[in-house]
Amino acid sequence: MKPTNFKHLFSSYDGNENLFDEIFDKKQNVRKVYQKLFDIYNDQSIEDFINLNNKAKTSFFNQGITFQVYNDEKAQEKIFPFDLFPRIIDGEEWATIEKGVIQRCKALNAFIWDIYHDKNIIKAGLVPMELISSSANYLRQMDNLDPVGGIYNHISGTDLIKHSDGKYYVLEDNIRCPSGVSYVIYNRNALKRSLFGVFNHYDIHTVTDYSENLLEIMESVKPKGVDVPTCVVITPGVFNSAYFEHSYLAKTMGIELVEGRDLVVENDFLYMKTISGLKKVDVVYRRIDDGFLDPLEFKKDSAIGVPGLFSAYKNGNVTLVNAPGTGVADDKAIYTYMPEIIKFYLGEKPILNNVHTYHCSRPTDLKFVLENIHNLVVKPVDEAGGYGISIGNRLTKAEIADVKKVILQNPRKYIAQPIMSLSVHATYIEDCQSFEQRHVDLRTFTLLGQDKEFVLKGGLTRVALKKGNLIVNSSQGGGSKDTWVLKK
Amino acid sequence: MFNYTIKYTTENTYENPVFESYWQFMVTPETNSSQDLISSSYSVSDDNSIEKSINGYNFETTRIHTKKPFNNLTFEAIFKLNKSEISPIEPNPEFTVEDDYKAIEVLDFKVDFEAFLNATELTALPKVAVKLFEFETSKHILDNVKQLNTWVYDLITFKAGETTEDMLLETVLEKKEGVSSDFVHLFCAIARVNKVPARYVSGYLHQGDGFFGDSEMYAWAEVYIPNLGWIGFDPGNNILADHNHIKVAHGRDYKDCPPLKQIMYAYGEQESKFAVEVNYEQ
Repeated sequence: MKPTNFKHLFSSYDGNENLFDEIFDKKQNVRKVYQKLFDIYNDQSIEDFINLNNKAKTSFFNQGITFQVYNDEKAQEKIFPFDLFPRIIDGEEWATIEKGVIQRCKALNAFIWDIYHDKNIIKAGLVPMELISSSANYLRQMDNLDPVGGIYNHISGTDLIKHSDGKYYVLEDNIRCPSGVSYVIYNRNALKRSLFGVFNHYDIHTVTDYSENLLEIMESVKPKGVDVPTCVVITPGVFNSAYFEHSYLAKTMGIELVEGRDLVVENDFLYMKTISGLKKVDVVYRRIDDGFLDPLEFKKDSAIGVPGLFSAYKNGNVTLVNAPGTGVADDKAIYTYMPEIIKFYLGEKPILNNVHTYHCSRPTDLKFVLENIHNLVVKPVDEAGGYGISIGNRLTKAEIADVKKVILQNPRKYIAQPIMSLSVHATYIEDCQSFEQRHVDLRTFTLLGQDKEFVLKGGLTRVALKKGNLIVNSSQGGGSKDTWVLKK
Repeated sequence: MFNYTIKYTTENTYENPVFESYWQFMVTPETNSSQDLISSSYSVSDDNSIEKSINGYNFETTRIHTKKPFNNLTFEAIFKLNKSEISPIEPNPEFTVEDDYKAIEVLDFKVDFEAFLNATELTALPKVAVKLFEFETSKHILDNVKQLNTWVYDLITFKAGETTEDMLLETVLEKKEGVSSDFVHLFCAIARVNKVPARYVSGYLHQGDGFFGDSEMYAWAEVYIPNLGWIGFDPGNNILADHNHIKVAHGRDYKDCPPLKQIMYAYGEQESKFAVEVNYEQ
């Protein structure tokens, strides 16, 4: 018998039907994959759930799974808010995502190879040269350099959203040093500890095999002539916001976690200093940005890099994962060319949607943009950090007229995209002590090696914890959820 | 044929001991169609070992990593090199003036020479100066570049000493004086805004015949002239590069080819001296 004042977890759930809800369909019925889970959770009282939630939080804190927000004056360690209600992705749906992200990562890899070799895509007139020359992440030192196996982006983080049409769209490709994978694994662990019973009802893929696959990928790109490679993870140090992840990955791969000062280059070979002398290092998973890798080649004042590392890399004596210079391909401007890039190198149609981009430099696009500003986001192509962006449905008539004027003055400078809406997922909100709809995205992790590819079956579902907010970054107060991929 | 001996030396003293340091010299002449490096020898104080490597732009570097404390470090490099006479350059008679300008408008050309067509921090012209020197399309590109060489030479007065190599063009144009790198940065900047690829060259100048130059390393430029190839120009002396110019490396500007990069943790007073000697027998 339940007490009469029993309050279900979902009793005050307010579904906005204009948003795509991952759990409820348009008629507010629970979607099939969530039914069992929904029944279990809805059977709990709020009080029990609050208890459980507090325990999970304490567990994260005690394990030191925290991050720092840099611009915070006190630079406090915070735990990444974790939600005990998992997100479920059906096996069929996942199969498409997996194919789609692999296709994208391979196309990006081919693009980077081309940019640092013959530049055929530019010569074919498909991507403007200015986009590459003006990119701060274009490293001319990488010209005509052939990384082992031809792989540049060994590790990619692809950010996806589900729009109100129920389809996945790629928002961003992260192929420099994408982070977040350790949270995926710890979210799973935390959920297993708190609610192990729920796992009995679903057949889901593991996420704890990430590290072994990462190590295999690293070993697959070992330098020529090396039999059993020595791999390391290099970190900027304990003050880096992702230090927890660096140490987690090194530990679970069973390899050394090093800083720049632990390494030395001699005669173009890389060594790590150990108590028994120098030990040659063959593959480095570097969590240091390009500019800081080697003060003799890049930023002179980098104290976290290794002098001479780039020459060792260039000579093929050590492999860097990811390769330097990948950032040229993950910028906002290149993103808009992804459908062309996929077609050019793979001869395929994109499996995952790109948010459609209208280039105001093209007359037909310009006409469409001018007629549909109220439904579009207009962005300048060359500004970062959200400057100069106009969101059509929030503008007054007078403002729309102003935006039109500005575009017409210099059409080349503007692109426009449809206004995207992120799907929502029931999320426990501490302040209200109930479940509410919150916007979510999904970061997937893809590994490319020599004759090997791997997509982590799961991912980081990030949640915008402020009501109505679309920004899911942890630095902006975002949280996360365990993400279940069901076996087919 | 000219047989050169080049000696590069540097002596550095520090008030307090330096515990660890890295030195990367880029002073070794390259071997190319007009010069042939016969031998090179290097020496450094305190039994420090010398390593050779290739930098990100494929030029030879010489490295020292000191691991014991020192107050004084000397480094010496001696090169023997053969240099051939460079014949006078005239426009390729098989191509018309129009062919020149057509060639630089081709997309493949713009892509292949991209690195030497865009402004860098040190070759960025202030807005007011962009139209300082415009090429006359009625003349061959070669003739325009020769005029540019003279124009830069006339505009800037050579003044060694006080300045550094990483002066912005805004300052150079205001002062109208500078060292060889300033001449070259201005020269390259103007060639590039006129859509002609130009690169910074670092090397040695044999100071015969009353040329400007100094006892340190020298800079000149190379311009890619369609249907001719890369041609050396020395705006600091208003001549084309000849057998007196011994090339070490090239880049987009000075920052791509400084003769020395140092990483060290030193405090207190310090003094560095550099000297270059270039001698030849014909």
